[in-house]
Amino acid sequence: MLNSRQKWTLTQDAFDRLLIVFGGDRESGSEKYLEIRSNLTRFFEWRGCPFPEDHADETMNRVAKKVAEGEEIQNPSGYAMGVARLLLLEILKGRQREQSALTEMGHSSEIYEGDDDGEDRLTCLRNCLQTLSPDNRELILQYYQGEKSEKIQNRKKLLERLGVPVNTLRMRALRLRERLQGCVEECIGRA
Amino acid sequence: MQMAADLNNEKLIAQYLLGELPEEQQVEIEDRAFQDKDYLATITAVENDLIDEYVRNELSEKERGRFESRFLASAERRKRVAFAKALTGVAAEAPVVEKARPAVVAWSWRESLEAFFRGLTPVGRFAMTAAMLLLLIGGAWLLTEMFRLRNQLNRMQAENQSRQNERQALEQQVEAERRRNEELAARLNQEKQQREQTDESLRQLSESAETPAPKPIVASLILLPGISRGAGEKPRLVLPENARLARLQIGIDPEETYKAFAVELRTIGGRQIWNRENLIARERRGARAVALTLPATVLKPGEYELRLKGVAEGGNSEDVGFYYFNVTRRQD
Repeated sequence: MLNSRQKWTLTQDAFDRLLIVFGGDRESGSEKYLEIRSNLTRFFEWRGCPFPEDHADETMNRVAKKVAEGEEIQNPSGYAMGVARLLLLEILKGRQREQSALTEMGHSSEIYEGDDDGEDRLTCLRNCLQTLSPDNRELILQYYQGEKSEKIQNRKKLLERLGVPVNTLRMRALRLRERLQGCVEECIGRA
Repeated sequence: MQMAADLNNEKLIAQYLLGELPEEQQVEIEDRAFQDKDYLATITAVENDLIDEYVRNELSEKERGRFESRFLASAERRKRVAFAKALTGVAAEAPVVEKARPAVVAWSWRESLEAFFRGLTPVGRFAMTAAMLLLLIGGAWLLTEMFRLRNQLNRMQAENQSRQNERQALEQQVEAERRRNEELAARLNQEKQQREQTDESLRQLSESAETPAPKPIVASLILLPGISRGAGEKPRLVLPENARLARLQIGIDPEETYKAFAVELRTIGGRQIWNRENLIARERRGARAVALTLPATVLKPGEYELRLKGVAEGGNSEDVGFYYFNVTRRQD
């Protein structure tokens, strides 16, 4: 986190004012806040930042600070994105400095070696698949079965069998995948 | 327009996710994603495809390098990569579906019906058609009956409700009348008692009237409007020892047009000690006053509040004024 910016603390009053700027009242403001925060998290993720949620919160803090200082914001989403982009520049500069320092010291950047809980994850996934209906289970397995041309053939067979457009199948598989992932993470958390 | 069309190109989205696009294009894609939920879902789908390709070693070396530097930076994305790896593994274990199976999506009802009929013999088809016709006719008749009965039920329920409402209103009326009767009886009783007291006092007065009484037996006080409870100097009624009656002359505004007045007399503690109704205001020397006569024995030394009410045309009473005075006794 960028400590030089953390002199200003988000107070309840500043947060309430932020929600009002977002949505006119606390309830709609809270919904808008969550939506913008979700988008900011995705943005930092897509840009390859290591702590996307922290960066999203930092962005929101900065926007709240501007509101508390009396700045008028007409388009909260656009404004927040602008602040996020500036924050991203700071993050990238910081990483460049870090990278240069590591290079000088002869270290390479961290390489992802894979997860340690692979077996647990497989077990959890098998269990979570059982929570799906037989049709959905078959759909998701067939959708991800095979490699390259085999995978394409499997998906074609699915399309013919279900009689749906390709994008519908894709979205269905995407939703099932997200559901399974949530189930797996919860299962690993309990293990 | 060209740029907008290109944004839908999944290869472009993949390049964005791998960080291969110039800043301007990245900003365009992000702005669209946060305004268009379908586009956002497409980006998520392309993200998953990239993750799957990485897990299956289907990315080029350059793409792999970019993927590892961007996708493996955050813990959340690393979890997604680990999940994709597990899913690929489990999918590979699953039996391969070789031949087409019956559709998981149910046929449309029309197709089902047609297939069924085609399977029947001519006699069977005739019987089935007759049965369906009977069902239709029977169903229509049942529906009609149902609506008729429902309407009847609604009517009866409405009538019942109306009768209940009437009964409730009557019950309330009876209750109100009963309460009013009770109130009137209580008031009548009170008036009777007060009259008896007054009569007794008058009788005593007339008995002693034969011998001239050197000392007064009616103590009078004039009460004028406008004296508040908190006023330092209140009017004082001095009751001689042998006072039999007290008479209060309650001054009222000459413009008050009430036909009758009622009076309530309370101690300053709030206890009612006397009340009279149907008092008439008299005019004398340009001033109007209501006279209240009560037995002197009712007034103990202390402070009193007198509430004067005017009775309007409709019978409702309204406050006209509050009067405060002190009573003291004089030993003769």
